[in-house]
Amino acid sequence: MDFHLKLVVPSDPRFLSIARTAVSEVSAICGLSEDASQGVILAIDEALANIIRHAYKNRHDQEMELDCQVNAERIVFRLVDQGEAPDPDRICAQPLDDVSLSGRGTHLMKAIMDEMCYEQVSGKNQLRLVKNLPGAKVDAAGDQPTEKGHKRQGS
Amino acid sequence: MQRTMGSSTRRAGDITIVDLVGQIDLGSSPALRKTLLDSLKTTKHMAINLAGVSYIDSSGIASLVEVLRAAQDAKKKLVLFGVGGAVLQVLQLTRLTGVFEILQTEEQVIQA
Repeated sequence: MDFHLKLVVPSDPRFLSIARTAVSEVSAICGLSEDASQGVILAIDEALANIIRHAYKNRHDQEMELDCQVNAERIVFRLVDQGEAPDPDRICAQPLDDVSLSGRGTHLMKAIMDEMCYEQVSGKNQLRLVKNLPGAKVDAAGDQPTEKGHKRQGS
Repeated sequence: MQRTMGSSTRRAGDITIVDLVGQIDLGSSPALRKTLLDSLKTTKHMAINLAGVSYIDSSGIASLVEVLRAAQDAKKKLVLFGVGGAVLQVLQLTRLTGVFEILQTEEQVIQA
């Protein structure tokens, strides 16, 4: 079943639970396991929290877009904001061999999601996070089809 | 499922037990941090009960790490118990299960 869901969420931490609930329901509809669903919820929540803290510098009066595009093989989340562009070093995430207090959010996103890609689109920040669905087809090369038909290495 | 974070504090002998419930995220982790640091000031041994926590993100984990550091600096004991589900998953993904002393039950905390 293909479907599209889009939320526009204020950059206020009080609204993160609404986004989590929506992602939880999308995950359930897509047949993700409880563990996988919890992981996706966490990844999207971390991404939104990063937008609030870093892109919008804790301003609570801005907007964040959470777009979910679902097909039989994957859920594609796009998180869009109009704040400051991220520091490339932060996107790379911190090594976890020390007990640092920052960078764990990005690490979690990379560990949980199958694809993670940042780009600027029409002057806005766009973070694309992809979760493959159970039973998604993977060809012999281990590549998975993207929305545009281009092959991308699965993780 | 409780959505907002709640906390309560009680004593079991010399141990201060902080019972947490609900969801811990960017919005509630500052309050969590303050609650735990305030409780730590008045005790040498603190146990945090996470059995009622249905969700925690990296900001919540960061608050726990900060409190752990404060406990270590003050040579105080901090343990976690009731860790399961979503909380355990996040601790495992962030490779912090070996950093905290984690026990299963309150009985183990009291007997330790």
